[in-house]
Amino acid sequence: MNTTRALVPVAWGMLWIARAPLEHEMALHMAVQLPLLIGVGYMLATFLRPYEPRWFAESDWLGIPGLLLVVFATSFWMLPRMLDLALSEPWIDSAKFASLPLLAGLPLGSSWPRMPGLGRAFLWANFIPKLGAIGGLYLAAPTRLCAYYRLDQQAAAGIALIAVAIVLGTCWSVIVFVGSPPFWSRAGIRRQRARHEILEAGE
Amino acid sequence: MTRGFALLLGLVLCVGVGALAWATEGFRVITSQGARQLSIARHPIPVPNVRLVDQDGHTFSFADYRGRTILVDFIYTRCPRLCGVLGDDFRQAFSRSDAKNDRVAFLSISFDRADDRDTLRFYADRYAAKTPGWRVAMPCDAHGLSTLLQTFGITVISDGMGGFVHDGTIYLVDESGRLARILDPGTRIAAGHP
Amino acid sequence: MTGIEAVGSRSRINATAAVRAYLATCGIVLLLMMLLGLTMRLAQAQWIDVEPNLFYVVMTMHGAGMVGIAGLGGAAVMWHFVRRYVPVSTAIFVANLVFFLIGAALILGAGFIGGFAGAWTFLYPLPGHSGGLWSANGAAAYMAGLLVIGVGFLLLHLDIARGIISIYGGLGAGLGVKQAFGFAPEKDGPPPAVAAATMAAISNVIGIVVGAVVLILSLVNLYAPSFTFNTLAAKNLIYYFGHTFINVTIYMAVIAVYEILPVYTHRAWKTNRVFYLAWVLSTLMVLTVYPHHLLMDFAMPTSILVAGQIISWLSGLPVLLVTAFGALTNVYRSGLKWDAAAGLVFMGVAGWAIGIIPAVADGTIPVNSVMHNTQWVPGHFHTYLLLGMMAMMLGFMTYLAGPKSPSHLAPAGVWLYLIGGTTFVLAFLAAGSASVPRRYAVHLPAWLAYDRAGSIGASLAVAGALILIVRFLVSLRSPIDATP
Ligand code: HEM
Ligand SMILES: [Cu+2]
Repeated sequence: MNTTRALVPVAWGMLWIARAPLEHEMALHMAVQLPLLIGVGYMLATFLRPYEPRWFAESDWLGIPGLLLVVFATSFWMLPRMLDLALSEPWIDSAKFASLPLLAGLPLGSSWPRMPGLGRAFLWANFIPKLGAIGGLYLAAPTRLCAYYRLDQQAAAGIALIAVAIVLGTCWSVIVFVGSPPFWSRAGIRRQRARHEILEAGE
Repeated sequence: MTRGFALLLGLVLCVGVGALAWATEGFRVITSQGARQLSIARHPIPVPNVRLVDQDGHTFSFADYRGRTILVDFIYTRCPRLCGVLGDDFRQAFSRSDAKNDRVAFLSISFDRADDRDTLRFYADRYAAKTPGWRVAMPCDAHGLSTLLQTFGITVISDGMGGFVHDGTIYLVDESGRLARILDPGTRIAAGHP
Repeated sequence: MTGIEAVGSRSRINATAAVRAYLATCGIVLLLMMLLGLTMRLAQAQWIDVEPNLFYVVMTMHGAGMVGIAGLGGAAVMWHFVRRYVPVSTAIFVANLVFFLIGAALILGAGFIGGFAGAWTFLYPLPGHSGGLWSANGAAAYMAGLLVIGVGFLLLHLDIARGIISIYGGLGAGLGVKQAFGFAPEKDGPPPAVAAATMAAISNVIGIVVGAVVLILSLVNLYAPSFTFNTLAAKNLIYYFGHTFINVTIYMAVIAVYEILPVYTHRAWKTNRVFYLAWVLSTLMVLTVYPHHLLMDFAMPTSILVAGQIISWLSGLPVLLVTAFGALTNVYRSGLKWDAAAGLVFMGVAGWAIGIIPAVADGTIPVNSVMHNTQWVPGHFHTYLLLGMMAMMLGFMTYLAGPKSPSHLAPAGVWLYLIGGTTFVLAFLAAGSASVPRRYAVHLPAWLAYDRAGSIGASLAVAGALILIVRFLVSLRSPIDATP
């Protein structure tokens, strides 16, 4: 238990050490460093769950405020201007290292389980195409958006974001289309029959 | 749902919108370039009196231009791309400007320490730049260069092929020697601006 | 937690009341929008005077309003019937109506206060280049309104998809993929309403999220004009969203045919392998045809554009064919007693089928070079929307109003609607083949004959719709359990 907990500071520290190489490439900065920092906070949330204050669990109705915070924090750090500032101002980079785990990863980990399935589907449905669209903008932009990245690095970042969006979108569509258990399997058919009967009995 | 929900939601909204507003200067810019443009337009800043040397080998400084408006661009003479566009644009504008009209001056500053008087001369000849109306110059020392880059807010990065990547923006220094405007990247003055 | 309970609620009373609220909204808005349409027609006919600037505001509001209530009416039909088969949330259904009303208020404000007249398709970068006719805020209110409406529909479709997945295990099973390819007996397949709702969910979720992306980009562009993006890509995204949304209205409304006709004929709607195959094919076409057209080509040849448009119209063809054929076999020798509801629903199938023909004609490139951007285009879509989709929705309304409401006027309403509507669309089609351009506020004297015939037809159609809608509104006075 304690060793897994130690993962959080270790991962965080490693990301801090790997700062320069990851931030050197826009694609790594956006598609690797930022998500990993969020991941650190997410891990932290799973360890902190037993200590979550009651009032917070109650006020975070359906996980809406928490996930809204995630949306704000991630949008903030994806702004080209903030990417630039993170490179030029060490204190801004430190703020990023503190706020992405604490204001994006942590609320994500604590609020996501509270969000009902419909809300999660809504968030996925909005997140995936927007990620792809940002990627498309980077890929197609004729000018540089960041002072610290070349046009080709910006295009590579665009491709990376589009790739992530395609992978996520494909996974999501396969899951909703095929279902689990898959509809052609025995288990799937049995489950469908059973559900049918329950519903008919309820009518 | 508790009362805490409304409170928490309000708090998140305020902090979130506030942070985004701060980062985008009130939802007007998303890039650092845009932010700088906006801040200069609102609060012009004095340009430090850096000494430069031009294509004829004469030294001069920004103070020599008092009372005139200067259009400044940053170049390096080996540039295979953008500087050609900038040079052409300045040439057209310069050739149209009245020689006796000395209210507007042109100034191309090299940020490449590898440039010297000969390469500046070469660049100047290519675009028919003539002192004193259009100087192609470089700061006399490395300290002067970094001061200038800092003041004008220019980030120059390597293009990975021995050259540089820069964004070819044109800057306007007003009569009292202040950096007063940063034109939109891609603006070409020969087309009638400003 | 009250929210979760609300999400799971399936209370019957609320549900019918909610469907009534939807239909009342649709009825009232439909009448108002028809009057706006009539205003345009009368103006083109030079029987009334309308400032050209106002004409384009009216055209924008008419387009957006009609597309919006077509979606809303379709959603009412779909939800009413699909909840017989899968668990769905009344709260989300009501939330969609609330989002719709907020969005509609924003859009009306944008048009009649803000002067926004950039057409319902808000083609980028037009909203930001009004030439002084409307402000950035006007355009922004319009686009924000669309976004809000989109949020509601997205939630509704996701909720229905969730319900379908909870019963059938996945959307593939909801569509009847197993049955379509012969992996499972036809009798185990989903009911037609579920297949249609699955197709609507898949297409509209994708269409709406794509639309949300362009809307947000356009909104950013309005306030930060230095932020621009590829116009051609934007156009593709907008049309992807627009085409899908308006096409899906008919896949939702057609559920009324599957559910109402059998009530009259006392024969279940036959779902066989071909039926499922048609739905699978139409879904696949909607999904796969358009994306190849979204590539960020810098100069997309018009031929590709045209071809893409046709295929996106044709993607409905398999479903249309099985539906038309199914309706005919269902009705044939069933001894059904025609009344207003059955007549309207049947008219809907016919209007849909006939409305596709001009689209196919428009799709053939030699014809297209003459017809495109003529009134042939509104001729085509008014046929399948006014005489197809809306007829199904009015049929559903009439059916819900029940036999108890005054029914002697209803047949008159249907006939007026049919005759007036047909005259109206024929006038568009005739004008189109005479190369009368669409979206012109002021018409040449040579075109007035078409415009006048169209105006007369439109007035009759408005009168017919008025009868049917007032009859429905009057029926709302009776308690809820009186409705079927
Ligand atoms: C009595 C009924 C109606 C009348 C009189 C009417 C009239 C018109 C007229 C005159 C136009 C402009 C044609 C032009 O471009 O010259 C138009 C456009 C349009 N109508 Fe209708 N209409 C009616 C019903 C409907 C219905 C039921 C729908 C959809 C469900 C609809 C959707 C549209 C759309 C989307 C446009 C295109 C607007 C644009 O070009 O931006 N209309 N209508
Ligand atoms: Cu250059």
